[in-house]
Amino acid sequence: MDLHLDEDDLNSCVQCGLCLPHCPTFRVTGDEAMSPRGRIHLMREVQDNGAPLTPEVLESFETCVQCRGCEPACPSSVPYGHLMERTRETLADAGAITPLWQRAMFAPLATPVALKAGSAALGVAKRLKLVPKRLGLPDDLPLRQEPLEPTGTDVYFFTGCVMDAWQRDVHRSGMRVLKAAGIGATPTNELAPCCGALHAHAGLADQTRDLAEQMMGNLRDDKPILVDSAGCGAAMKDYGHLLGTTEAEAFSSRVFDIQEFLADHVGALPQVDPLDLRVAVQDPCHLRHVQRVHLATRTVLAPFVRELVEINDDGLCCGAGGAYSVLQPELAGQIRDRKVNSISAVQPDVVASANPGCSLHLAGAGVQTLHPMQIVDEALSQ
Amino acid sequence: MSLLRRAVDRVRGTDDSVRGAQDHTTDPLLDALIDALDPARVKFDDAQRSLLGKDASVFDGGNAGPICYPTSTSEVVAIMKIATQFDRAVVPRGAGTGLAGGAIPLGAPIVVAVTKMRDVIEIDEANGVAWVEPGVINLDLTRHLAPLGYHFAPDPSSQQVCTIGGNVANNSGGPHCLAYGVTNAHIQAIEVVTPAGDVVMLGGLDAEPDGYDLRGVFVGSEGTLGIATKVAVKLTKNRPAVRTLLLSFSSVRDAANTVSGVIAAGIVPAAMEVMDNAITQAVENYVNAGYPRDAAAVLLAEVDGPNEGIEIDANRIREIGLENNATDVRLAADEAERALLWKGRKTAFGAVAQIAPNYYLHDTVVPRSKLADVLDQIYAIAAKYELLIMNVFHAGDGNLHPLIVFDGRDEGILDRVHAAGAEIIEASLAAGGVLSGEHGIGVEKQAYMHLLFSDADLDHQNRLRRAFDPTCRANPGKVLPAGHSCADIQHLRSVPAGLWG
Repeated sequence: MDLHLDEDDLNSCVQCGLCLPHCPTFRVTGDEAMSPRGRIHLMREVQDNGAPLTPEVLESFETCVQCRGCEPACPSSVPYGHLMERTRETLADAGAITPLWQRAMFAPLATPVALKAGSAALGVAKRLKLVPKRLGLPDDLPLRQEPLEPTGTDVYFFTGCVMDAWQRDVHRSGMRVLKAAGIGATPTNELAPCCGALHAHAGLADQTRDLAEQMMGNLRDDKPILVDSAGCGAAMKDYGHLLGTTEAEAFSSRVFDIQEFLADHVGALPQVDPLDLRVAVQDPCHLRHVQRVHLATRTVLAPFVRELVEINDDGLCCGAGGAYSVLQPELAGQIRDRKVNSISAVQPDVVASANPGCSLHLAGAGVQTLHPMQIVDEALSQ
Repeated sequence: MSLLRRAVDRVRGTDDSVRGAQDHTTDPLLDALIDALDPARVKFDDAQRSLLGKDASVFDGGNAGPICYPTSTSEVVAIMKIATQFDRAVVPRGAGTGLAGGAIPLGAPIVVAVTKMRDVIEIDEANGVAWVEPGVINLDLTRHLAPLGYHFAPDPSSQQVCTIGGNVANNSGGPHCLAYGVTNAHIQAIEVVTPAGDVVMLGGLDAEPDGYDLRGVFVGSEGTLGIATKVAVKLTKNRPAVRTLLLSFSSVRDAANTVSGVIAAGIVPAAMEVMDNAITQAVENYVNAGYPRDAAAVLLAEVDGPNEGIEIDANRIREIGLENNATDVRLAADEAERALLWKGRKTAFGAVAQIAPNYYLHDTVVPRSKLADVLDQIYAIAAKYELLIMNVFHAGDGNLHPLIVFDGRDEGILDRVHAAGAEIIEASLAAGGVLSGEHGIGVEKQAYMHLLFSDADLDHQNRLRRAFDPTCRANPGKVLPAGHSCADIQHLRSVPAGLWG
């Protein structure tokens, strides 16, 4: 079957295996089929050698978290993330993966009204204990939230879908911190309802392209677009590749992770007493391995806490992976156990994570996780 | 399966594709393995067999039978006994990073992947050892030991992924083995499951064990004597101080002469590694460590020990480099720069795909005094066969790693690659060298064994092997060339045709 993968991209893997320990699913299973090298081998088998799409081949592709932790580990810079997205797109088009019930799950993300209704219903169901615990959702999904008001017009503040429904307080903190640095922000709200990252991960790239076009059409000027969700930021920075137009390239170059942007403005923030906290920095994969701007989180946090500590696991994924923790709860749980052990080893008071998926997933295991912006906001408001 | 059914199964986690294996088969061998282990840890699907038919070498004639993921010594014993019962061969596998095809299954054997046996069992500081399972990753072990001030000294370039079991099987080396010795010097005792399914302890914690050194026989035996299930590795104290120098040269010969000069001056650096221009550029594209892109060769030299001594050694290396026309000498300013330089050296093979999708790697060792001459010959061989050969090597101990870089899609190129490889080996042996420094013989270098050993030598090696493995069930078809391991060949032929494709 033609997976529509570029020959040169596939051939840029020499099968050396240096990626294996950086792959969360290989780490917990020890199974070559659950490693980047193994998945690339199977892509070749399917595309070049006519191997059939057996359940095992599909499982290998579907169990990938798409954390892309293998990419920085690869000396030949194999574009693994794009290979896996393309593979899933081909398989989803052929109806081999991402069944209708999953597609139904992604549909409301792009429609704020439906998303808020669905989220509130889930919040009620969770309180009534109707949601299986193994899905790892937090107990306190908000039922209703105050709207975000603009604080100025220097930058756009991307609000997104799930994060806006579940963690609008993080947006609020981010906008307050920006304001304290003298940066006025306009929340994007309906102008940019969803980045399409989850759709792309599921192989529904056409929907991602539609969402990208919609967002680009609505945010036409040249103001920076700040994003406080690492997964969304990574997706929006990839619009240039996804759409292949100079317009999309230009749009992507306006996208910044909020810590990345603030790292250049730390001096503009008021000097305050640091919070008496030992904070462990948990780098979201799409901040560290994809955007590769994770050091900015440390630059921004350092002045505002007593102590920053590193988690000694080479930035291995926590298993959240967008919708992964819901679609592959067993593996996601094993990967999370490993992360929780690494976190416990450095005994932090709190964990800072700049991605909603990671913080929800870790909260499901009882790890207290805050967005870096919430920590800085707290320090500034003492 | 209906979409709804699949959805429900997924949410419940009862989906077959999540669990990975069925409980019942029509094959008595599989049923026996499943009974001994667990249905989820015995695999036999086409995808798995295709994946475990390969390692990091270019050899693609692998044919895996059932694949087992044991979690204990007793499970490995059970697998060995089942293999005997069903007259099957057994091939152990760690991370699959071998470059000589040692873990390639031939004739549909049972593949025993030890990647789920990955516990550090005990750190015994009093005896200076750690007991570990074979699937523990080399670098994980070193990180595990770091809080106590120790590390595991052998550091193959693949150390971030390769396993201790694989290191034992191949007697692996690494840049820092120049001063610290290869794996054999760091293994105190090994618990081995023999091909008959007996559990024996080779070596021991005594400094000078009585009797034959069977531990030494097992290290480097490439899975042909049994499967290691527990290893006592020596703890090495971390170094008080380190200096890392990067020297640039306008010819590979100058770099090689510097290496001989340093050793001749009586200095024993912790490591001395050379990379030529082509590989340095590929590496620098990846790590951005500040490797000079225009140098014909770079020498990475490291000294360690008490501060005063290494200052003197580092200065002397600098002088010897300058005497040999070094164009630049740089001292790594801090640990971060040092780590980045080493990251570059240790990922060199993987960076090759920037240039071409395939590489064939040789591993010969030549006397240090002949380094420059043999390298000249290698570049001449490359020119003769119109191939790109890049050189990255453990210069300190004369261990060459010429990488023949090619695109396997080019017609007839493999013939040229193999012909050039044969000439490289002949040139190395003619200079007084040996076939393999650390990657093992596997299936790749067997054909050259007769160049190094006489018939009588090989015959004795085969008899030693058969003392452990009388029926040639352990990793058959490896190490010893066909003429000297006839039982292997019979065994490979005994596989029922068509059973495993």
